[in-house]
Amino acid sequence: MTTETASPETAAAGRAARATFRPNIDITDFGTEVVIHADLPGARRDGIDVTFEDGVLSLVADVPPRDQPGTAIRREYGVGDYRRSFRLGEGFDASLITADYRDGVLTMKVPRLAAVLPRKISVTAG
Amino acid sequence: MSLIPFRTKRASGMEPGSLATLADFRNEMNRLFEGFFSRPLEPMPAWLTPAIGGPWLPAIDVSETDTLVRVRCELPGVDPKDVDVSVSEDRLVISGEKKSAAETTTDGMTHREAHYGAFSRAIPLPEAVDPAKVEAKYDKGVLTVEMTKSPSGTSRKIPVLAT
Repeated sequence: MTTETASPETAAAGRAARATFRPNIDITDFGTEVVIHADLPGARRDGIDVTFEDGVLSLVADVPPRDQPGTAIRREYGVGDYRRSFRLGEGFDASLITADYRDGVLTMKVPRLAAVLPRKISVTAG
Repeated sequence: MSLIPFRTKRASGMEPGSLATLADFRNEMNRLFEGFFSRPLEPMPAWLTPAIGGPWLPAIDVSETDTLVRVRCELPGVDPKDVDVSVSEDRLVISGEKKSAAETTTDGMTHREAHYGAFSRAIPLPEAVDPAKVEAKYDKGVLTVEMTKSPSGTSRKIPVLAT
Protein backbone atom coordinates (compact mmCIF):
# COMPACT_ATOMS: atom_id res chain seq x y z
CA MET A 1 0.00 0.00 0.00
CA THR A 2 1.29 3.45 -0.88
CA THR A 3 0.01 6.98 -0.91
CA GLU A 4 -2.38 6.22 -3.75
CA THR A 5 -6.05 5.58 -3.19
CA ALA A 6 -8.31 4.11 -5.81
CA SER A 7 -11.34 6.33 -5.39
CA PRO A 8 -11.31 8.17 -2.09
CA GLU A 9 -14.35 10.28 -2.91
CA THR A 10 -16.72 7.39 -3.55
CA ALA A 11 -15.29 5.42 -0.66
CA ALA A 12 -15.79 8.41 1.64
CA ALA A 13 -19.40 8.80 0.52
CA GLY A 14 -20.14 5.22 1.50
CA ARG A 15 -18.58 5.67 4.89
CA ALA A 16 -20.16 8.98 5.74
CA ALA A 17 -23.36 7.36 6.98
CA ARG A 18 -21.66 5.20 9.62
CA ALA A 19 -20.06 6.07 12.92
CA THR A 20 -16.36 6.77 12.71
CA PHE A 21 -13.75 6.54 15.40
CA ARG A 22 -10.53 8.36 16.03
CA PRO A 23 -7.77 5.80 16.37
CA ASN A 24 -5.01 6.12 18.92
CA ILE A 25 -1.68 6.94 17.34
CA ASP A 26 1.94 6.99 18.40
CA ILE A 27 4.37 9.22 16.55
CA THR A 28 8.11 8.95 16.86
CA ASP A 29 10.54 11.22 15.07
CA PHE A 30 13.73 9.41 14.16
CA GLY A 31 15.25 12.34 12.33
CA THR A 32 15.54 10.74 8.92
CA GLU A 33 11.95 9.55 9.11
CA VAL A 34 8.81 9.85 11.20
CA VAL A 35 7.20 6.59 12.27
CA ILE A 36 3.49 6.50 13.07
CA HIS A 37 1.71 3.57 14.69
CA ALA A 38 -2.08 3.63 14.53
CA ASP A 39 -4.27 1.20 16.49
CA LEU A 40 -6.91 -0.08 14.07
CA PRO A 41 -8.30 -3.21 15.70
CA GLY A 42 -10.74 -5.01 13.45
CA ALA A 43 -9.83 -3.12 10.27
CA ARG A 44 -9.50 -5.00 7.02
CA ARG A 45 -6.08 -4.77 5.43
CA ASP A 46 -7.40 -3.88 1.98
CA GLY A 47 -9.81 -1.33 3.46
CA ILE A 48 -7.06 0.99 4.70
CA ASP A 49 -6.31 4.19 2.80
CA VAL A 50 -3.36 6.40 3.60
CA THR A 51 -2.90 9.66 1.76
CA PHE A 52 -0.34 12.41 2.11
CA GLU A 53 -1.24 15.72 0.56
CA ASP A 54 0.02 19.22 1.22
CA GLY A 55 1.84 18.09 4.35
CA VAL A 56 -1.25 16.38 5.80
CA LEU A 57 -1.30 12.65 6.41
CA SER A 58 -4.81 11.18 6.30
CA LEU A 59 -5.83 7.76 7.38
CA VAL A 60 -9.15 6.04 6.72
CA ALA A 61 -9.85 2.40 7.56
CA ASP A 62 -12.90 0.23 6.94
CA VAL A 63 -14.12 -1.98 9.74
CA PRO A 64 -16.68 -4.67 8.96
CA PRO A 65 -19.77 -4.43 11.19
CA ARG A 66 -20.47 -6.83 14.03
CA ASP A 67 -22.12 -9.66 12.19
CA GLN A 68 -21.89 -12.62 14.53
CA PRO A 69 -25.19 -13.94 15.82
CA GLY A 70 -26.12 -13.55 19.45
CA THR A 71 -27.44 -11.17 22.03
CA ALA A 72 -25.18 -8.40 23.26
CA ILE A 73 -24.58 -8.42 27.00
CA ARG A 74 -21.88 -5.82 27.27
CA ARG A 75 -20.38 -3.46 24.73
CA GLU A 76 -17.40 -1.37 25.67
CA TYR A 77 -16.22 -0.46 22.23
CA GLY A 78 -17.98 0.74 19.16
CA VAL A 79 -17.47 -0.79 15.77
CA GLY A 80 -17.09 1.60 12.89
CA ASP A 81 -14.55 3.02 10.53
CA TYR A 82 -11.43 4.79 11.68
CA ARG A 83 -10.59 8.22 10.44
CA ARG A 84 -7.84 10.60 11.37
CA SER A 85 -5.66 13.18 9.72
CA PHE A 86 -2.90 15.38 11.02
CA ARG A 87 -0.38 17.84 9.71
CA LEU A 88 3.16 16.59 9.48
CA GLY A 89 4.47 19.64 7.67
CA GLU A 90 6.68 20.04 4.67
CA GLY A 91 9.94 18.34 3.85
CA PHE A 92 8.71 14.77 3.54
CA ASP A 93 9.04 12.47 0.59
CA ALA A 94 5.48 11.37 -0.18
CA SER A 95 6.62 8.86 -2.78
CA LEU A 96 8.58 6.86 -0.21
CA ILE A 97 5.90 6.51 2.48
CA THR A 98 5.40 2.89 3.47
CA ALA A 99 2.55 1.37 5.44
CA ASP A 100 2.41 -2.07 6.98
CA TYR A 101 -0.56 -3.58 8.80
CA ARG A 102 -0.09 -6.30 11.38
CA ASP A 103 -2.06 -7.47 14.42
CA GLY A 104 -4.43 -4.53 14.18
CA VAL A 105 -1.69 -1.90 14.10
CA LEU A 106 -0.78 0.15 11.04
CA THR A 107 2.84 1.27 10.92
CA MET A 108 3.58 4.14 8.59
CA LYS A 109 7.08 5.36 7.82
CA VAL A 110 7.35 8.83 6.38
CA PRO A 111 10.90 9.64 5.28
CA ARG A 112 12.21 13.17 5.21
CA LEU A 113 13.54 14.59 1.97
CA ALA A 114 17.29 14.27 1.75
CA ALA A 115 17.45 18.00 0.99
CA VAL A 116 16.08 18.99 4.40
CA LEU A 117 18.23 16.67 6.51
CA PRO A 118 21.05 18.35 8.38
CA ARG A 119 24.33 17.74 6.68
CA LYS A 120 27.67 17.42 8.37
CA ILE A 121 30.25 19.42 6.55
CA SER A 122 33.75 18.21 7.00
CA VAL A 123 36.40 20.84 7.34
CA THR A 124 39.36 20.31 5.12
CA ALA A 125 42.74 21.69 5.83
CA GLY A 126 43.97 24.13 3.17
CA MET B 1 7.57 19.21 12.77
CA SER B 2 4.23 20.41 14.02
CA LEU B 3 1.43 18.00 14.83
CA ILE B 4 -1.69 20.06 14.67
CA PRO B 5 -4.91 18.10 14.10
CA PHE B 6 -6.05 19.24 10.73
CA ARG B 7 -9.21 18.65 8.79
CA THR B 8 -8.49 18.20 5.12
CA LYS B 9 -10.91 18.78 2.31
CA ARG B 10 -10.98 15.06 1.76
CA ALA B 11 -11.44 14.04 5.34
CA SER B 12 -14.29 16.48 5.67
CA GLY B 13 -16.07 15.21 2.60
CA MET B 14 -19.08 15.62 4.82
CA GLU B 15 -20.08 18.97 6.24
CA PRO B 16 -18.78 19.91 9.68
CA GLY B 17 -21.38 19.02 12.29
CA SER B 18 -23.02 16.50 10.02
CA LEU B 19 -24.58 13.23 11.07
CA ALA B 20 -21.31 11.37 11.16
CA THR B 21 -20.01 13.72 13.82
CA LEU B 22 -23.29 13.63 15.68
CA ALA B 23 -23.35 9.86 15.54
CA ASP B 24 -19.88 9.79 17.03
CA PHE B 25 -20.98 12.02 19.85
CA ARG B 26 -24.14 10.05 20.54
CA ASN B 27 -22.19 6.83 20.46
CA GLU B 28 -19.75 8.14 23.02
CA MET B 29 -22.55 9.38 25.28
CA ASN B 30 -24.35 6.06 25.04
CA ARG B 31 -21.21 4.27 26.02
CA LEU B 32 -20.75 6.60 28.93
CA PHE B 33 -24.23 6.07 30.33
CA GLU B 34 -24.43 2.37 29.62
CA GLY B 35 -21.07 1.85 31.22
CA PHE B 36 -21.91 3.90 34.28
CA PHE B 37 -24.66 1.57 35.45
CA SER B 38 -23.46 -1.77 34.19
CA ARG B 39 -19.90 -1.87 35.41
CA PRO B 40 -19.82 -2.33 39.15
CA LEU B 41 -16.79 -4.61 39.04
CA GLU B 42 -14.21 -2.13 37.90
CA PRO B 43 -13.07 1.10 39.38
CA MET B 44 -13.03 2.87 36.03
CA PRO B 45 -13.83 2.08 32.42
CA ALA B 46 -10.88 1.44 30.14
CA TRP B 47 -11.27 4.62 28.15
CA LEU B 48 -11.18 6.80 31.28
CA THR B 49 -7.86 5.56 32.51
CA PRO B 50 -4.93 7.62 31.35
CA ALA B 51 -3.15 6.28 28.29
CA ILE B 52 0.20 6.63 29.96
CA GLY B 53 0.91 5.29 33.38
CA GLY B 54 -2.50 3.98 34.40
CA PRO B 55 -3.45 0.33 34.17
CA TRP B 56 -4.62 -0.81 30.81
CA LEU B 57 -8.03 -2.44 30.79
CA PRO B 58 -8.66 -3.45 27.19
CA ALA B 59 -12.21 -2.88 25.96
CA ILE B 60 -14.40 -5.96 25.73
CA ASP B 61 -17.60 -7.02 24.08
CA VAL B 62 -19.69 -9.86 25.51
CA SER B 63 -22.49 -11.63 23.68
CA GLU B 64 -24.26 -14.95 23.90
CA THR B 65 -26.29 -17.34 21.80
CA ASP B 66 -28.31 -20.34 22.93
CA THR B 67 -25.22 -22.50 23.08
CA LEU B 68 -22.22 -20.25 23.60
CA VAL B 69 -20.83 -17.17 25.28
CA ARG B 70 -18.59 -15.00 23.14
CA VAL B 71 -16.13 -12.43 24.46
CA ARG B 72 -14.17 -10.17 22.17
CA CYS B 73 -11.34 -7.98 23.32
CA GLU B 74 -9.51 -5.23 21.46
CA LEU B 75 -5.79 -5.93 21.74
CA PRO B 76 -4.12 -4.09 18.87
CA GLY B 77 -0.42 -4.76 18.47
CA VAL B 78 -0.30 -7.57 20.98
CA ASP B 79 1.57 -10.69 19.93
CA PRO B 80 -0.90 -13.60 20.27
CA LYS B 81 1.89 -15.53 22.00
CA ASP B 82 1.83 -12.97 24.81
CA VAL B 83 -1.88 -13.44 25.56
CA ASP B 84 -3.12 -15.77 28.29
CA VAL B 85 -6.70 -16.91 28.34
CA SER B 86 -8.03 -18.90 31.27
CA VAL B 87 -11.57 -20.03 31.84
CA SER B 88 -13.26 -21.34 34.93
CA GLU B 89 -16.92 -22.21 35.08
CA ASP B 90 -18.14 -18.69 35.64
CA ARG B 91 -15.20 -16.47 34.84
CA LEU B 92 -12.92 -15.66 31.94
CA VAL B 93 -9.54 -14.05 32.53
CA ILE B 94 -7.64 -12.40 29.70
CA SER B 95 -4.17 -11.20 30.55
CA GLY B 96 -0.86 -10.58 28.90
CA GLU B 97 1.58 -7.93 27.88
CA LYS B 98 1.99 -5.61 24.94
CA LYS B 99 5.55 -4.88 24.07
CA SER B 100 6.28 -1.44 22.75
CA ALA B 101 6.43 -1.40 18.97
CA ALA B 102 8.45 1.77 18.78
CA GLU B 103 11.98 1.81 20.08
CA THR B 104 11.99 3.78 23.26
CA THR B 105 15.62 4.78 23.05
CA THR B 106 15.17 7.65 20.65
CA ASP B 107 16.22 11.20 21.22
CA GLY B 108 13.47 12.38 18.93
CA MET B 109 10.11 13.72 19.89
CA THR B 110 7.48 11.13 20.68
CA HIS B 111 3.75 11.51 20.82
CA ARG B 112 2.01 8.58 22.47
CA GLU B 113 -1.62 7.58 22.77
CA ALA B 114 -1.59 3.80 22.56
CA HIS B 115 -1.45 1.48 25.55
CA TYR B 116 1.58 -0.59 26.42
CA GLY B 117 2.57 -2.97 29.14
CA ALA B 118 0.69 -5.54 31.14
CA PHE B 119 -3.07 -5.91 31.01
CA SER B 120 -5.54 -8.15 32.73
CA ARG B 121 -9.28 -8.43 32.78
CA ALA B 122 -11.54 -10.81 34.64
CA ILE B 123 -14.94 -11.12 33.04
CA PRO B 124 -17.82 -12.72 34.91
CA LEU B 125 -19.76 -14.98 32.56
CA PRO B 126 -23.54 -14.75 32.27
CA GLU B 127 -23.87 -18.54 32.41
CA ALA B 128 -21.75 -21.50 33.39
CA VAL B 129 -19.51 -22.75 30.60
CA ASP B 130 -17.54 -25.91 30.01
CA PRO B 131 -13.87 -24.98 30.52
CA ALA B 132 -12.89 -27.83 28.21
CA LYS B 133 -14.81 -26.38 25.28
CA VAL B 134 -13.18 -23.02 24.71
CA GLU B 135 -11.84 -21.60 21.48
CA ALA B 136 -9.63 -18.50 21.38
CA LYS B 137 -8.67 -16.79 18.16
CA TYR B 138 -6.71 -13.60 17.47
CA ASP B 139 -7.30 -11.76 14.25
CA LYS B 140 -6.55 -8.18 13.16
CA GLY B 141 -5.91 -7.02 16.71
CA VAL B 142 -9.09 -8.50 18.15
CA LEU B 143 -9.18 -11.55 20.42
CA THR B 144 -12.34 -13.68 20.20
CA VAL B 145 -13.03 -16.30 22.87
CA GLU B 146 -15.95 -18.63 22.33
CA MET B 147 -17.08 -20.79 25.23
CA THR B 148 -19.69 -23.51 25.06
CA LYS B 149 -22.32 -23.30 27.76
CA SER B 150 -22.41 -26.33 29.97
CA PRO B 151 -25.68 -28.19 29.54
CA SER B 152 -26.25 -28.51 33.25
CA GLY B 153 -25.88 -24.79 33.72
CA THR B 154 -28.21 -23.60 30.98
CA SER B 155 -31.40 -24.20 32.90
CA ARG B 156 -32.17 -25.39 36.35
CA LYS B 157 -35.63 -26.35 37.37
CA ILE B 158 -36.53 -25.03 40.78
CA PRO B 159 -39.34 -26.94 42.36
CA VAL B 160 -42.05 -24.92 44.03
CA LEU B 161 -43.03 -26.38 47.30
CA ALA B 162 -46.57 -26.28 48.47
CA THR B 163 -47.09 -25.78 52.14
